[in-house]
Amino acid sequence: MSALPTVEDLKAQIEASLPGAAVTVIPNGSPSAQHSLLLDHEHARAVALFLRDHPDLRLDFCSLVTGVDWLDTETTEKIKVKKMVAGPDGSEIEQEVEETRKMKVPGYLEAIYHLFSMEKKHGPVILRLRTANRTDQTHVPSLTPVWRSCEFQEREAFDLYGIVFDGHPDLRRILMWEGFQDFPMRKDYVPPADDSLAPLPFASLQRASTKEARP
Amino acid sequence: MNIPQHPWWTVIALLLGAVAFGITPLALAWLWAKVFSPQKPGAEKNATYECGLESKGDAWIQFGASYYLYAIVFLVFDVEAVFLLPFAVAFTSLSAGACLSMLVFLVLLAEGLVWACQKGMLTWA
Amino acid sequence: MADDLKELKIELSKNGIFTTTLEELYNWGRKNSVWPLTFGLACCAIEMIATTMARYDLARFGAEVFRPSPRQADLIIVSGTVTKKMAPQVVRLYNQMPEPKYVIAMGACAISGGPFRDGYNVLRGIDRYIPVDVHIPGCPPRPEALIHAFMTLQKKIDEQALRGESRPRHLHADAPSEFPVPEFGAHGLEPAQNDEVFLNETGNPLRVIQ
Repeated sequence: MSALPTVEDLKAQIEASLPGAAVTVIPNGSPSAQHSLLLDHEHARAVALFLRDHPDLRLDFCSLVTGVDWLDTETTEKIKVKKMVAGPDGSEIEQEVEETRKMKVPGYLEAIYHLFSMEKKHGPVILRLRTANRTDQTHVPSLTPVWRSCEFQEREAFDLYGIVFDGHPDLRRILMWEGFQDFPMRKDYVPPADDSLAPLPFASLQRASTKEARP
Repeated sequence: MNIPQHPWWTVIALLLGAVAFGITPLALAWLWAKVFSPQKPGAEKNATYECGLESKGDAWIQFGASYYLYAIVFLVFDVEAVFLLPFAVAFTSLSAGACLSMLVFLVLLAEGLVWACQKGMLTWA
Repeated sequence: MADDLKELKIELSKNGIFTTTLEELYNWGRKNSVWPLTFGLACCAIEMIATTMARYDLARFGAEVFRPSPRQADLIIVSGTVTKKMAPQVVRLYNQMPEPKYVIAMGACAISGGPFRDGYNVLRGIDRYIPVDVHIPGCPPRPEALIHAFMTLQKKIDEQALRGESRPRHLHADAPSEFPVPEFGAHGLEPAQNDEVFLNETGNPLRVIQ
């Protein structure tokens, strides 16, 4: 069993052999410490081929493809701004004032790949691909041409999250039917309203059961 | 008593009895359906395919004949085993002629196996 | 049957004379040869299979013949989770069964969606589309529960009248034998339920004569 290089080393190796490839290390603070590599769209397939074919890495098995939905978030930060404020005597003086600003961070969809090596018996190496946003630019390059095992799982991510994999040989819905329009694993998915039965009021049920218990 | 004594009488009586035995339940069922239960045919109820899915495409399509070859190869081994077992059990008490005919049989089957091998039947995928 | 006739019948049986009616004979024959459809959907089907095997032996109730074709079946045991993708097939199979036909909804999923009720892909009870005769709760119900449901169904068959307004659906000429199959829509099944069948929250369902 050969030891797998750390993500930082992997990033260095990739960037050395593929000039221009932008690889970002996404740290994982949990005890498992499974750090992952965020790839850019243009070089994703080249990086994948590099990881698969490099004689020391030979990551020949993609065990898992999944999607994650990151919603739009709002962050607030406090910044100090210089402002002209009316002084006590009526003249304007410059003063530093704290202001809170709201920043909207656009959400994105993420496809995650877990790679192992059957030959070297090591892994996992985790790759991430992110879409530009959640609404109209939901394309990422498909890695099915590199690992055939991605085919159905990328279809599943397409079906449930709406991530469009460019270059996938057969991108159709796999679990839901053709003609279904929603992406049910997205966090803002709401099931159709006519499909829910109004829940029975719990209090009335409780009263009924106690009445039965004590005649 | 003046029972007709024609020799075919019993046969005719039995025949009538047998026909009645078959027809009576059917007639009763038919009558029951007429009197009590209304018929309710429908497009879906009368559909040909009965697996819950709607049938599509044409049933008159060509199937690959290669499965037929697998059946023949199966026969080579299967018939061989069926005939070889009694042969092996009675081997010591058999005459030379019987052994010879058994060998001819084996050669015929082995020939079939060689033929299948040459056709590439024994390689998978 | 009128009460004096019933008394007469009891009186006769006390004297060793057995009498019956056509209706009783008919129902006795039907309830003891209910043939289910070979049809399993999820884990409840395993319990259904166990029920038919030697230990629980559903054959004691005349239901050992699981028919592989809906044309020959009297009963469909909806055993397990009905996904929205499977619901049209279940309804179509039910439609293809000849009358009289019965439905047992087995397990929490088949009666209401069960633990998967809030999922995007699970139908919240098969009684939205086809009339269910017996519901069995449980996850999965034990074979005894299925046997109990089966006996309940037998009792129900035994009480069905041959004539009169209270006769069951299959003896009414104008009552439907086929139920509309839901279509795959853009957001879910369309329609979401068959109001002719489904007991909805308004509490005033237009029920099919059962």
